[in-house]
Amino acid sequence: MKILFEENAKKSEKIEELVSIFLKEVSTLETKLDVPMVIFQDGVNNSYYIKCQISARIASKIIDLNAKIKAKDPGSFRSNRELMLEHTTYLKMELDASKGREFNDLIVEYNCEYNADKFLKVWGGQHRAHAILNVISSANRYHGFKVYFDLNEKQRTEVALISNTNMGVSDDTFDKMLEETTFGDTLRELCQKVGLLGPKEDFADVGARSEKITVKIARSFIVNYYMGLDRGKTIKSGDLDKNIYEPYVTETGVLIDSKYAEVMSEKGNKILGDESLIEAGKKFIELHRTQYEKVKGNPEKIKNRKAYRNKALVISVLCGWSYIAGLLQNHRARLLNHYEIPKTTSKIPDPLNAEEMSNFKHDSDLPTYRGLGTRQSAKDLQRLAQVFLAKSLSDSCILDKRFLQKAVSTVVGLTTLKKGYA
Amino acid sequence: MLNYRDYLSYSEKCTQLAEEESLDKLKFLIPSILLSWIAIESFINNIMDDFGNLPEDLFELHERSLLIEKKVIFVDHGGDMGKFKLGQREYKKLEEKILFLIAKFGNLNKPYKGEILWQNFKDLRDTRNKILHPRRNIELTLTVEKAYKYLETSKNIIQFVSTNVWHKKISF
Repeated sequence: MKILFEENAKKSEKIEELVSIFLKEVSTLETKLDVPMVIFQDGVNNSYYIKCQISARIASKIIDLNAKIKAKDPGSFRSNRELMLEHTTYLKMELDASKGREFNDLIVEYNCEYNADKFLKVWGGQHRAHAILNVISSANRYHGFKVYFDLNEKQRTEVALISNTNMGVSDDTFDKMLEETTFGDTLRELCQKVGLLGPKEDFADVGARSEKITVKIARSFIVNYYMGLDRGKTIKSGDLDKNIYEPYVTETGVLIDSKYAEVMSEKGNKILGDESLIEAGKKFIELHRTQYEKVKGNPEKIKNRKAYRNKALVISVLCGWSYIAGLLQNHRARLLNHYEIPKTTSKIPDPLNAEEMSNFKHDSDLPTYRGLGTRQSAKDLQRLAQVFLAKSLSDSCILDKRFLQKAVSTVVGLTTLKKGYA
Repeated sequence: MLNYRDYLSYSEKCTQLAEEESLDKLKFLIPSILLSWIAIESFINNIMDDFGNLPEDLFELHERSLLIEKKVIFVDHGGDMGKFKLGQREYKKLEEKILFLIAKFGNLNKPYKGEILWQNFKDLRDTRNKILHPRRNIELTLTVEKAYKYLETSKNIIQFVSTNVWHKKISF
């Protein structure tokens, strides 16, 4: 069979040989019809690929749905988002496949470095690929594949990203892929170490639907801790309560957040040895677990809603808490108060008083304001930081309505004062 | 806990009931007017609390006296002898609180007491006083039109303070 390079593709003996091996191992429609195979080269990342038709029966034996960004690392996790096999779109896809629908543009990588029997690693179209595999007994049609060769990690990440862009893949999945490629396992290891993730657990693909933490949440925790730490070094104890603090939510998606990148380029995997950060992470997990259990265990006093159970994981709550943990590192007595879990009472069954937070409204808020710790606006972040800062004044604090009002009132007062003097 | 929006809404409801009532409109007009006033009180007092909760040294003593409604006293004995400090509760006038907030945080460099808004506010205040401190020789004439006017005045005063202190408009 003739193998040609497309006119924009730079000739490469290595790629030609790899394609040739691939075509000997896999029977494609082009081979069967003796049509020349063309090798293309991506203009952006220079990766090489061919386009070919492979029958469902042959594909089913060589497709791997557990593709990994770091092919050589045995500890690396599956990189694609979780399959949604109950989703109506998928069910329709499978029904169509069973009736003989041909799919196109399945994005795969020829890679024998792991799980070598299944050397076609799927990067785009994993639901279509799954549907094809599932109905193999009833339909064996040719499907269009784009097969990449000899990808490095950077190229692989980009292939994964561009392959998923059209599918409404969550930013959380992009974050997960980019995190691993750019910084390795440090973030996941840290989260496993403090308990934000289980021992062999990976970050969630779609944060909104999951009760697990996402890369964005983990990054935000770290960035805010260090931001708070830096700020705290410059403030005398007596002045802690005279400032407005502005926690930060890391950006998510196809670009790595600049503040997080800054932290990682400065500290890298040294964060794994930062005992204070790890202590903060463990204390935060204690708060989260207590909140979770208290909500779950008191159905007669508080609705067992996900938003209430996971109140600590709401981004503004987490960022506010983490920022204050960093801020108080140089103010030990208040730090210890901060680490105390807020007290509960017969009327307030959960430490974060999620219901009261949700009902909260200041006079300056719009009638549509949805309450404390429900959004990631600057206002909400400042307010949550103040809640935790005010809480750190005592070791036996209850986050009741009065306390929340006073904390928010302080932020509004300080903000107005700042504007008034400006 | 009720806020100024609740009071405004109750005031409006009372005025509507007065409008529908054919015989005794006063039983709805009196609460309507009081509620319009309470809405302003609630709004202003809460703003004062926002500042009253801040660390003490961010305001002068006399400012804090107004913010937390306590009397400034001169200490003539003990460790603080010869100093001023805040003593017992001393209620301050709503009018004074508004004047303070506008002067402290607003960029309004002109007198505004002669303007229609302030005149309407004074009218509302006088009517409220007549209701709360009744006397045989004080005549009280209340109408649905007046009640609506006071409700509007209440909203306008709240808006006036919000735009000068928070530099943003309130949504009612």
